[in-house]
Amino acid sequence: MTRKRREALAAYAFLAPDTIGLLIFVAIPMVLAFGVAFFKVDGFGNYQYVGLANYKLMAGDDQLWASLKVTAIYVVTFVPIAFVVSFALAMLVRNHFKGIGWVRSAFFLPNVVSLVVVGLIWQFLLVDKRGALSKILAPFGLGDVSFLGTPSLALGTYVVISVWFLMGYQMLVFLAGLKDVPKELEDAAQIDGAGSWQRFRYVIWPLLRPTSFFVVVNSTIGAVTGLQAFDLVFVLTKGGPARATSTVVLYIYEQAFTFNNMGYAAALTTVVVAILVVCTGLMFGVTRGGRFDED
Amino acid sequence: MAASPFPARQLSRRSVLRGGLGAFAATAAGVPLLSACGSNESGGNAKEMSFWNFYGPSDDQGPQSKWFVDTVAEWNKNNDVKVKLRYIPGKDYLNGTTLQTAFQSGQGPDIFLISPGDFLRYYNGGVLQDLGSALSDESKKDYLPGLLEARSVDGKVYGLPMEIEPLAMYYSEAAFESAGLSEADLPKTWDQTIAVAQKLTNSKRYGVMFETLPGYYQNFTWYPFMWQGDGNAIKDGKSAFDSPASVQALKFWGDTIKNKVAPRKALGDGGGDVVSNLGSGAAAMQQSGIWAVADMRTKAKTFKYGIIPLPTPDGGSAATDLGGWAFVANSKGKNPEAAAKFIAWALGSTDAAGVERQRQWNTVVKTNLPPRKSVQQAADAKGAFADGALKKFVSEIAPTGKPEPRFPPEVYQPIADAIQACQLNAADPAKAAADAAEKIDTFLKTYQGAPIS
Repeated sequence: MTRKRREALAAYAFLAPDTIGLLIFVAIPMVLAFGVAFFKVDGFGNYQYVGLANYKLMAGDDQLWASLKVTAIYVVTFVPIAFVVSFALAMLVRNHFKGIGWVRSAFFLPNVVSLVVVGLIWQFLLVDKRGALSKILAPFGLGDVSFLGTPSLALGTYVVISVWFLMGYQMLVFLAGLKDVPKELEDAAQIDGAGSWQRFRYVIWPLLRPTSFFVVVNSTIGAVTGLQAFDLVFVLTKGGPARATSTVVLYIYEQAFTFNNMGYAAALTTVVVAILVVCTGLMFGVTRGGRFDED
Repeated sequence: MAASPFPARQLSRRSVLRGGLGAFAATAAGVPLLSACGSNESGGNAKEMSFWNFYGPSDDQGPQSKWFVDTVAEWNKNNDVKVKLRYIPGKDYLNGTTLQTAFQSGQGPDIFLISPGDFLRYYNGGVLQDLGSALSDESKKDYLPGLLEARSVDGKVYGLPMEIEPLAMYYSEAAFESAGLSEADLPKTWDQTIAVAQKLTNSKRYGVMFETLPGYYQNFTWYPFMWQGDGNAIKDGKSAFDSPASVQALKFWGDTIKNKVAPRKALGDGGGDVVSNLGSGAAAMQQSGIWAVADMRTKAKTFKYGIIPLPTPDGGSAATDLGGWAFVANSKGKNPEAAAKFIAWALGSTDAAGVERQRQWNTVVKTNLPPRKSVQQAADAKGAFADGALKKFVSEIAPTGKPEPRFPPEVYQPIADAIQACQLNAADPAKAAADAAEKIDTFLKTYQGAPIS
C-alpha cells in the first residue's frame, strides 16, 4: 500500500463515525421527510396519501408565516451581532498576555453548558421583579420590566442570550482563522508603513474570508434550526408570550407532537430545508464561498 | 416481544433540523415507513405489559413512586401477565416526544396515563381500549357523577380517573399581614381581586398570579373564569366561545397584567408551582390546584397560607375546574384485555384492599379528592378532610367544579392563542374571542371524531 493510500484510508476511518452519524440522524430522516410530506400521518401509525395537500395548507396557515417572521427577525439580528462580538473577542484575546488562558476560557465557558441549563440560569437572572437584572435596573425605574414576559422584548432577550452562548465558539473559530494569517505578511505590511487599521483592513480581513464565510453560514443555520431556536425557547417561554418567540422549528415540533400532524410537520421541514439551501446558496454566490480573490 | 423501551429523546445538543426530523429518525429506526400501518400483529397472550408513567420508579423513591411500585408488585404477585413500570420524567411525559414517537411506530405502551386534554387525540387515534368488560357495575356506580362520562364515548368507559384535582386561590398570610389586610379583605369578586392585589403589590411582590406560559395547563386554569359567567367553548356542536362570558374572562386576566398586579412570568415550574411563587414571597395570591397542599407540606412546612374559592365576576356563579389523570390501556398493545383488568383492579376494586389502595393515593401519598364514594368515606373516617385547606376543597370548592374539558388540539389552540394575546399582548378580548370562535367553527365543520365536551 502506498503512503498516499494509507493516509487516505486513515482519513476515511477518522471521518467514518461522523459520516455514519450524519447519515442515520440527518440525511436519511431528511430524505424520509420528503416522502412523509405527501401523507397525512396521525401519530398512531396510520398513513394516508394526500399528495400536495400538506403544502397547500401552508398558504393559509397564519401561524406558519408568523413563525417564519419570528425566525427571520431572529436571524437578521443574531447573525451580525454574534459575528461582530465574537470577532471582537477574537481580536482581543489574539495576542498573548498574562492570564490569556483564563480570559479565553471565560468567554468559551457558556458554550460547554447544556442549553437547558443555560435556560435555567437566565430564567433565574431574568425573573420578574426579583431577578438580578431587575435589581440592577430598579434604580432607573425599570425594575418592573419582564424580559421574557413582554412580547416586544422576548425575542431580543433570546438574541442576547444566544450571542452570549455562542460567542465563545465563534471566537475560537476566528482565532483559528487568525492563526492562519502569516505573521510575515503582517510584518511586511508594517515595514511598508501600514498602520494597525491598514494591516487589519488589507491583510487580516481579506485573509479571514473563508473563516467569516463559515461563521456566517454556520450561525445562520444555527439560528434557524439550532439549539437556541428550539431548546432555549422550549425551556423558557414555549413560544410565548403571545407567540412572540414561536420559531419555525418550535412550530414544526408543535405540529408533530402536540397536534399529531406528522405529515404536515414533515412538509414544513422540507420547506425549511429548502429555505436554508437557498440562503446558503445566496451567501455562497455573494462571497464565492469565501475563497480568496486570486483563486 | 419484550417491552422494548423506545429510546427516550432528551433535549440533546444534536439538534440539526430537530423538531420534525426527530419523528422521522424514529420512524426510520423503528418500523419501515408505510408498513407501520397495522403493526398490531401481537396476540393476546403476552406475558409482560409495559406501564409508562411519570411517578415511579423515580430516582427520589418518594411515596408517590412507592405507591406505583407497590401497586404493580401486588398485581404481579397474583397474576401471570406481569406489569412492568417505565418511568418518564414529568416534563418529557407532558411536553416531550416519547409517547408520540412510540405510538407512531406502533410501539406504544400497554398501559399509560392521560389527562383529559389528551383524551380525544388518543381516542380518535383508535388506541384506547374499552375497559367495560373488566369493570364491575359496582365499581362503575362507585364513581362520582360525571367522572367516568368525561372518559367515555357512547357509554363505553376508556379511562379510570385516579384523582380529582380542583383549583382554588392560595394566599399568603404573611403577605396579607404585612399589607395591613385581614381575612375580611379576601376577595370574592374579580374587582375585589384586583383591588386587593394592588394593596399587596410592592417592589418585590406581586399581588396575584395566574399561569402565563402557554399550554394545556394554562387553558385548564382559565376555563373556570369562563364558566363563572356561564360561558363555554362549544355548545350544541358549535363554537360558543364568542360570548360575553369568554370576553370578560379574557379581559380579567389581561387586567391583572395591565394593572401590574400580576407577573408576566412565574418562577420555578410555572403557575402551578406554589412553593416557588407563593412560598418564596414572590406572589401574595396564586391560583393553583389541590396538589399544592402536599407540595407545601413537604417543601414549605412552616409557611402559613390559606385558600379561597376562585373569585367570581359580578353576577357570576362559583366554578372550578376538576383536573385529574386517568389510567388507560392501549387497544393495540400486546394484551389489551389484561391491561384493562389491571386498570380495573388497580383503581376500581371495591374490596377493602382496593379502597385502601385508592385512599392511600388520594389522601396519603398525594393530596387530591377521591373520585370514588367508598374511598371518600374511608378517607373521611380517617379525618383526611377534617380541617384546613383540604376541608375547604371538599366542602366549598369541589361541589362547584366541572370535569376538565376534553378538547382536541384544534380547539385548544385558538383558545390558548386568545388567552395569551389578551393576557400578555393587550389584545382586544372581544376580537380575540371572535377570532378563536371562527377557528373553532371551521374545525368543527369537518371534525369526525368522538363528541367533544
